[in-house]
Amino acid sequence: MASSPSSKAKTFKSPTKTPTKMYRKSYLSPSSTSLTPPQTPETLTPLRRSSRHVSRKINLENDPIDLPERESIEEINLIRKPRKRTNDIVVAEKSKKKKIDPEVSFSPVSPIRSETKKTKKKKRVYYNKVEFDETEFEIGDDVYVKRTEDANPDEEEEEDPEIEDCQICFKSHTNTIMIECDDCLGGFHLNCLKPPLKEVPEGDWICQFCEVKKSGQTLVVVPKPPEGKKLARTMKEKLLSSDLWAARIEKLWKEVDDGVYWIRARWYMIPEETVLGRQRHNLKRELYLTNDFADIEMECVLRHCFVKCPKEFSKASNDGDDVFLCEYEYDVHWGSFKRVAELADGDEDSDQEWNGRKEEEIDYSDEEIEFDDEESVRGVSKSKRGGANSRKGRFFGLEKVGMKRIPEHVRCHKQSELEKAKATLLLATRPKSLPCRSKEMEEITAFIKGSISDDQCLGRCMYIHGVPGTGKTISVLSVMKNLKAEVEAGSVSPYCFVEINGLKLASPENIYSVIFEGLSGHRVGWKKALQSLNERFAEGKKIGKENEKPCILLTDELDVLVTRNQSVLYNILDWPTKPNSKLVVLGIANTMDLPEKLLPRISSRMGIQRLCFGPYNHRQLQEIISTRLEGINAFEKTAIEFASRKVAAISGDARRALEICRRAAEVADYRLKKSNISAKSQLVIMADVEVAIQEMFQAPHIQVMKSVSKLSRIFLTAMVHELYKTGMAETSFDRVATTVSSICLTNGEAFPGWDILLKIGCDLGECRIVLCEPGEKHRLQKLQLNFPSDDVAFALKDNKDLPWLANYL
Amino acid sequence: MPTNAAGTILTSYKHIAATGTVKSESLESAVYQIPRKRKTRSDSAAVNLMSGNSISSPKKLKSHRPSSVSNPRISVKEVMEDSNEILINPVNLAVKKLSDCLGSKSIWNPRDEEQMRVVKEALHVSKAPSTIVCREDEQSRIFEFVKGCIDQQKAGSLYICGCPGTGKSLTMEKVVQRVGDWSTQAGLPPVDTLSVNCTSLTKTTDIFSKILLEIKPGKKANTNSSPLQHLQNLFSQKQESSSSRMMLIIADEMDYLITRDRGVLYDLFMLTTLPFSRCILIGVANAIDLADRFLPKLKSLSCKPMVITFRAYSNHQILRILQERVMVLSYVAFQPKALELCARKVAAASGDMRKALCVCRSALEILEIEVRRSAGPESQGPTPDDSMVRMDHMAAALSKTFKSPVVETIQSLPQHQQIIICAATKDFRGSKKDATVGELNKLYLEICKSWMISPAGITEFTNMCTVLNDQGILKVGQARGDKLKRVSLRVDESDITFALQEIRIFRNCLV
Repeated sequence: MASSPSSKAKTFKSPTKTPTKMYRKSYLSPSSTSLTPPQTPETLTPLRRSSRHVSRKINLENDPIDLPERESIEEINLIRKPRKRTNDIVVAEKSKKKKIDPEVSFSPVSPIRSETKKTKKKKRVYYNKVEFDETEFEIGDDVYVKRTEDANPDEEEEEDPEIEDCQICFKSHTNTIMIECDDCLGGFHLNCLKPPLKEVPEGDWICQFCEVKKSGQTLVVVPKPPEGKKLARTMKEKLLSSDLWAARIEKLWKEVDDGVYWIRARWYMIPEETVLGRQRHNLKRELYLTNDFADIEMECVLRHCFVKCPKEFSKASNDGDDVFLCEYEYDVHWGSFKRVAELADGDEDSDQEWNGRKEEEIDYSDEEIEFDDEESVRGVSKSKRGGANSRKGRFFGLEKVGMKRIPEHVRCHKQSELEKAKATLLLATRPKSLPCRSKEMEEITAFIKGSISDDQCLGRCMYIHGVPGTGKTISVLSVMKNLKAEVEAGSVSPYCFVEINGLKLASPENIYSVIFEGLSGHRVGWKKALQSLNERFAEGKKIGKENEKPCILLTDELDVLVTRNQSVLYNILDWPTKPNSKLVVLGIANTMDLPEKLLPRISSRMGIQRLCFGPYNHRQLQEIISTRLEGINAFEKTAIEFASRKVAAISGDARRALEICRRAAEVADYRLKKSNISAKSQLVIMADVEVAIQEMFQAPHIQVMKSVSKLSRIFLTAMVHELYKTGMAETSFDRVATTVSSICLTNGEAFPGWDILLKIGCDLGECRIVLCEPGEKHRLQKLQLNFPSDDVAFALKDNKDLPWLANYL
Repeated sequence: MPTNAAGTILTSYKHIAATGTVKSESLESAVYQIPRKRKTRSDSAAVNLMSGNSISSPKKLKSHRPSSVSNPRISVKEVMEDSNEILINPVNLAVKKLSDCLGSKSIWNPRDEEQMRVVKEALHVSKAPSTIVCREDEQSRIFEFVKGCIDQQKAGSLYICGCPGTGKSLTMEKVVQRVGDWSTQAGLPPVDTLSVNCTSLTKTTDIFSKILLEIKPGKKANTNSSPLQHLQNLFSQKQESSSSRMMLIIADEMDYLITRDRGVLYDLFMLTTLPFSRCILIGVANAIDLADRFLPKLKSLSCKPMVITFRAYSNHQILRILQERVMVLSYVAFQPKALELCARKVAAASGDMRKALCVCRSALEILEIEVRRSAGPESQGPTPDDSMVRMDHMAAALSKTFKSPVVETIQSLPQHQQIIICAATKDFRGSKKDATVGELNKLYLEICKSWMISPAGITEFTNMCTVLNDQGILKVGQARGDKLKRVSLRVDESDITFALQEIRIFRNCLV
């Protein structure tokens, strides 16, 4: 039995509460009215309070095939060889499947072909679905797995009671209602209780033993089972006391040599097995999905269990006793938690995508369909690729996401140097090394190591600032990566790392819940999280069972967290000054003088550790670009230098330099393709960079003004002319109109008329090329150019339609 | 558990009694018990005594790590001997004292990681020193106030203010400990203590529910009346004898309770004026006039809190505190002169003790790096001369902290941003203090034209202004249009001239 602190009952109940109640109302009302139950068919089955059992029985009646399946559980361990189905069963199966899914089309995969392949040795045959001992196991199913090293396997095989015994009379009647305690999950017959209950009560119910325990007494008289009778435990209980394991099937295959069926299992873990131990928020039936895999023989698999995400779990009160909840993925090496809800959603989609294929396979799954390197077997290519991956290496993550086949024409294409350059210059591409920031990285490393390397971690904080695009975040992250490697090597004691971007928080206060989730793997509201974090950092209470590891908190965009009374920043920066907090805070922001802008009490707590990332100079930018392009001969040296000098003169932003180079590569690519001659050098030259820079630095307004209509052009020219003549930035509409009319007259253009001119003025005003006085449109409206007159003149000057415009500019 | 903390507190306690500030029967009886008590405490069996103490504020967990105080008995004794002399002529004697110690203490080896760690720990902010020097006066005043209230069984309020890093919260912790010790020795019922840091409240009114929980633990708040009403009822009616215990409420960073209508703060202080109230409210904050400014009504009700001000530390005080921390170590890590330099500099800047500790730590790190670097080529043992933090290390750390980085920042800026600063400087030479972005752009274009540099576009120009704003060189105001934002310089003109002198073209421009 899992240990049961009193406070868990409430949390356990909450997700299942509503469905259970609804169920009870509809279902129990007949039995509660008739107090002598045995005659009604419903009460023949033992009724557990959560009513999982009952409903399953009902389900079984609907689905007769499942019933023998349950009975065969005992046989699994006795019968070593999987029995092949006879042909008539296949037919029956086929027709049944057809009934369920009439729209599934069967594409014949010739069995002959696969049989010829069977001759090859050392082959594995992969399945999506396998029938083993008359139970179907599919990829993605959750199963109970026997512990092979168990001392007395006989006992295990002896009995696997479907219905658990009552905790008081230790018999499993089938004709009395059984009720489940919300605290210890034990089952009780209604009439064994003292005083006996007549009906299942509404709401939470806790058995008498748990109640006594809760009230603080240590002496609890738990009824002992009668001599000679062993207390039979259901698989659920065995799992929760870690005598059984649960796993998800990731892959199914058969070794062709000896015909043994194997599965690749992804383990589930009960909360007690994690680093933190069972927490108050863990539900009784909660499991964690781990990233731990193992290949196990099919014989160890006992039967199905059902692990559900929270949403399904709350609906699943009718699915029997083997239902569990899994909300988080647990990293066994790092002891960290990750929510799996999103992942599961993604899975469902892909499942539906190849559901049809699965059905196809089933029809032939009792033959060994074998897949060779050819890709012609349409329906099952997915599982085949999975197999290839598992042989080669560990692409489990990718496999989950669902790989798509690369189209043929892409694969045969050999990347040219320019294309390679374009790919490496993408901002999303992680550089292999970080040049020009080694000094800063050293400083960060020294800071972190100095704080956490001792067994007694002293809390500190460091403020990192610098203009955008100077590699602040990436430097810190690569330092953390190096540290991680050192932790694995064992030279640095383990720590936990929480990374937060201030801009990604819904509100500054949410940072508490994000930190708390990172530390404990549980999501709570920020108020609760703040309380718990205060307990941990300020008062030194322990969350888990072990000694707390030092915690490194990286807060990107720290300035977003500045609230009106700055309490969020105060709390975060106050914790490191407490004893036993073991918290190291790294704050990143753009502003240099953020600490001075804060309240003095906060800057006092922030300490004096600052690190400035200055803008890159042109030599550094050049080095950054050339290290990225190492081994790719696509750029002239002068072109790189030109780009880096230009960027360094204006902003020193590395992102921008990379963008310019990438654009230049695109321009060069285009130029070379257009010229269509195999030019002697396929290099990016200075002219390409020049074009890219023009595009980048030339503001979009020039482009817009170059492409406005003819009348708008005349209008703008008149405005510039007016500006030159009067020297005043502001003119009124009627004066512009007069100028337009005189210009048109001298150059033989037709004057468009006042209302059209007014409309043009409004259009330009909406593009924000011209600033209009707000309010009504009328002739005395004040107008002003939004851009410097030089820009406007430059944009209008060389125009083929209206060459005479240049005279006025 | 604070094994040696209580002993040392009692030490300073005795000192106060001896100087004659306090004359009280119960106090003297407490004094007589001191020696015996301290003895038991120094054998580590004294833990039992402490755990019997009924007052358990969470802050008390701020304990002393056994490893950090390598030699508690000696240090306590030294402090005892010191405490009277130092008052007469603190600095000189302290320096002399330290130099006396030089011979007796073992030589510190910065290469030994363990020793380095101990020194760092002793200087860390989170480590509470065993005694509080330089705040004896304030501490005894607060203690007297609390004692007086408890003796007379009446409520009262106190407001403590002072700059950050002047030991307010630390003193409060010690006072709470002292009150606990005193009440057990005087045979009074134990005092309920509630220490709240107001920043950690999710709602300002949460403080009342916390108080209620402290008074009636385990009992859930009534749903039909708010905690505040409940408290008000509780304090305005005559209570049975059972609840005659006093309650000490310490609200740290009290100004976070200021709401728009000041209701919470006002209600909190009003709790102490109710006829049967047993609250002793102590508020801690930075603002010197919080009570006057926000609660003028309290004065008319004659329940204005007493104010105790923690002044910023003077250089003598900082020096003494630093020495106190270093003294605990069994070896000499700092040159006395270096500590004095640090103290003087920090006192001149802010008087913030946290800052002083940070500077010392960073000086230590500078030494560490130096030692590590020298360890490579020459592997022989260190000469005793370089095995402590000297003046130059401290000076380097101080300059790292207090030096304004403006000049370097300007010099490392990209060229176009330098031109913008140059243009702004030229423009703002006269009486003019600010200009719009559009005007500045015009000046910038002029300079670019005169130097034959192709200028950046207007959008790029606004971006550069924002970056300069982030760096604290320009100040860009808020406006509706980009071009209408007002720009002003935030650094001194002479700094800019000095920084840009190095570059030829700017020299011509700015002269």
